[in-house]
Amino acid sequence: MTTDELEKLLAQQPVGFLHRLASGRIHRHFRLGKRRLIDALLRHSADNRAGMESDLQTLTKERPRYEQSVGHRQHPEPAAHQAKRPGHGERHPAKAGHEGSAEPAEPAPDLTAFLEGIGVPPPQPFVPDAWQEEALAHLAETDVIVSVPTGSGKTYVAIEATRRAIEAECTVIYTSPLKALSNTKFTEFSRIFGADRVGILTGDRKDNPQAPLLIMTTEILRNLLYDAAGGEIDVRLDTLGLVIMDESQYIADPERGVVWEETIIFCPTQARLLLLSASIGNPQDVADWLTSIRPTPCYLVRHHRRSVPLRAGYLHPSGKLTPLFRSVGIPHGSAAALHPEAKRLFAHYEDETLRPRSH
Amino acid sequence: MPPSIHPVDLITTLRHKHLTPAIVFLTSRRACDEAMQAFQRSQATLPPQRQKNIAAVLEQVIAQYPSIAEHPLLPVVQRIGVAAHHAGHLPSWKIAIEELMRQGCLDAVFATTTLAAGVDFPARTVVLTQSSVRKTRDFTDLTVGEIQQLAGRAGRRGKDQVGFAVLTPSPYIDLGVITKGLTGQPEAIDSQFVITYPMVLNLLKAHPLDQIQAILARSFAQFQLNRRAETLERKLDALHVQMEPYGPRVCADWITQWQVFDHARKQKAHRVQVRSHEPPELAARLHFLTPGRVVGLPKGRGIVLRQYRSRGQRSPMVTVLRANGAVTECPAGLITPVFDRTFEVEEAPVYPWCTPHSLDELTRQMSELPVRIPVLPILVQEEAEESEIVQTLTDEFPCPTCPSRPACHKDHAQALRLRQEIHRHTKTIQALHTGLWHRFQARAEVLQQFGYLTPTCHLTEDGEWARLIRIDHSLLITELIRADAFSGVEPQILAGVMASIAHDDDRPGAFPRISNGLASLLGQVRHLAESLAPHEDPPLLRADVAALTERWVGDPALTWIGLCRTTTMAEGDIYRLLARTLEYLSQLHTLNASHPGLADTASRAIRALRRGVLEELP
Repeated sequence: MTTDELEKLLAQQPVGFLHRLASGRIHRHFRLGKRRLIDALLRHSADNRAGMESDLQTLTKERPRYEQSVGHRQHPEPAAHQAKRPGHGERHPAKAGHEGSAEPAEPAPDLTAFLEGIGVPPPQPFVPDAWQEEALAHLAETDVIVSVPTGSGKTYVAIEATRRAIEAECTVIYTSPLKALSNTKFTEFSRIFGADRVGILTGDRKDNPQAPLLIMTTEILRNLLYDAAGGEIDVRLDTLGLVIMDESQYIADPERGVVWEETIIFCPTQARLLLLSASIGNPQDVADWLTSIRPTPCYLVRHHRRSVPLRAGYLHPSGKLTPLFRSVGIPHGSAAALHPEAKRLFAHYEDETLRPRSH
Repeated sequence: MPPSIHPVDLITTLRHKHLTPAIVFLTSRRACDEAMQAFQRSQATLPPQRQKNIAAVLEQVIAQYPSIAEHPLLPVVQRIGVAAHHAGHLPSWKIAIEELMRQGCLDAVFATTTLAAGVDFPARTVVLTQSSVRKTRDFTDLTVGEIQQLAGRAGRRGKDQVGFAVLTPSPYIDLGVITKGLTGQPEAIDSQFVITYPMVLNLLKAHPLDQIQAILARSFAQFQLNRRAETLERKLDALHVQMEPYGPRVCADWITQWQVFDHARKQKAHRVQVRSHEPPELAARLHFLTPGRVVGLPKGRGIVLRQYRSRGQRSPMVTVLRANGAVTECPAGLITPVFDRTFEVEEAPVYPWCTPHSLDELTRQMSELPVRIPVLPILVQEEAEESEIVQTLTDEFPCPTCPSRPACHKDHAQALRLRQEIHRHTKTIQALHTGLWHRFQARAEVLQQFGYLTPTCHLTEDGEWARLIRIDHSLLITELIRADAFSGVEPQILAGVMASIAHDDDRPGAFPRISNGLASLLGQVRHLAESLAPHEDPPLLRADVAALTERWVGDPALTWIGLCRTTTMAEGDIYRLLARTLEYLSQLHTLNASHPGLADTASRAIRALRRGVLEELP
């Protein structure tokens, strides 16, 4: 194989493939673009052409399988799309032309793939996720912290836990950081458990304070706990079986975070704590803290999986919508590679808006 | 190109791509309201069936909360299917919008990011237009956690197969912040534990002083501080290991010893260096080169006018008056004979260093000088100082003759650095362990000073009731009660004062007039708040919110609409102000055992305040 032939062959390969070939041969190959990568590979192979060629052949044999799996994950049968939605077909040539000039690597998803699957899922019987069951099971014995993404079903855990505690004839206290959220939850829980079994406490008003489920803001609970410690018992803290603290990432709130800490410190030991929080960076620290001050070791449920997958898009002020990232979903944990079209449009936008007005 | 997409175009695009319902997060309340205005004349109406659905849901909500029946946004909501949802609206309005969203009736809601947790309803799509958010005064970038919480509202379980977070540029956007927020890990959270006066009182009510430190140790704050202390302790251990070769030598504390010795040595070197330029003959002569002295120069003679040291080299110099009347500068070293003759000189601080009169006099005397003048015999003493210093060094320090002197000299810098680092870490660790306790003690001392605590940290009579006031600015409120500021005041004036203490928002507006009674009481409160400033941050004490509350409490015939007309504050802000005032008043109400009169006034104020819109929600 001549050098020219080799170069041409390499140029035909996708850039990901070249990186695989370069790993172990070229220092910091991931920093290079395709052109420079090919140059570097050729330079490197000057003294060991045979080794390079054999590797290339092995990889080329592997390649169809590799491509298939990639294709499956990211853009299922583009041909089938076009058949289904002929209206979008004419966009492809222009797009392909643009991409070809930029970086002929793995093709970025197009809008069709991005918008694929919008719609209402077929009605399915509700089956709780494994983590929800797990949290509920552990709540029978110990305190539980749930730190999961927004909208993945923390409320289900709260409702089920409440139901079980009420069945066991315990009092349940549900706290939220905002009065508005308390009101929403009051309406929601009244619908689920019946109005007579849900009470709400605010600073100046008590609605149905004898109900087994009491909703209040965290400040009110803190005051109750202080009253109890000071000798004037206001609620039935001895029958208190469960304290649910919603949005407990508020513990890091500069002004009000201290209230969450006080509440947790003074929470009666016989009551279980259920802390529901949005995704935070160090839930393990909070769990370790609870373990250190509570009678039983705290159990932590954390994950980053969303029950409904999320995609990110970019909408240009001209009304043009493109995917934001090079992948259909959001590439978690990796340095974000922007979709070439979104990148181009945003650069254009910045040019337009940052340019000093000439008139 | 417009700086950002027009709201009507935005909704049209989202509808076209089947991306509705959507929550559109905008930078400000005003942006939300302007977006709603843009739809006033829009033709992007919903099909009649959906309009009917919205009307049906609204009817149900209005039955529960009549205050929204007249809301000016209602027609747009019903016709177009979009709504605004932000802190400027009444809670009942927000509940209505949330209910509509939950039923899937609306296409879009314009909301602000300020209260991400308050927007508790999902949608198919979330539209982000900004990467920073206004916090108190200036804009800060959204954190990863906040962006994920905003974007997380997209995708309704059971109603959507996939959710969308759509980014649309505006002048307030930094693409990097958003992409990092979408792909990154949320930040770690840190404890924000502070020790408040009510906390001190309530802790001391329930627990004896010697248990308090153990209780504070149970806080998340102390947990995190301990974590930091642990890492420091590990570092300290490593430092101790490094310190091992520098243990005791000939003297037990050789580092300090060497440090003092080194210091003395440097002092000595310094002094020798200054003197080194001057030979002993010159040094001895300098004492005699006073103004008026006749001296011999390489050419001729002169009279010294002043003696000084040169600026750079600090070498001794003299200014002399020559025989021809010239005033010249001359190094003291050049002066060969010093004659035994002096004249009177009237010195002056500037050139020519003597008064004109005495200059004339000296010039005359100079010309009349005899040819031969006796030379002053000057006794030259050998410089003895250097040997003296060496003597003291050997006397006080064993170092110069010590066998380990070379080793000490070599290791000293490293050992000293290590020792300083160990000191620093030990101090930090101690501070980490005792910081909370010290802050508690500082608070307790203030309370003792004001008489809420006895010197043994038990609650006094005042402390017993003061601990029931568990709100911000508690010290100010309890001090006002003790100063009898509220004795015999009308309920509306009490409510007004509480409102101005409770209100911590500095959004501007235009407001009703304040009554004289309230104004004078507010003056008293302001005076007290300023005197308490070293112990507690003073509240804003805005007179306008006080007047607004006074009017609402004092005039039972005033309607909500009427109240809103008297000010430019947004409805939601007025509601929040009154709700917070209620909270503060209800704290006063808990004092009915110790201050029955005040508690009664507070409960009357509560009853008067809680009407109309404020009665709708618990």
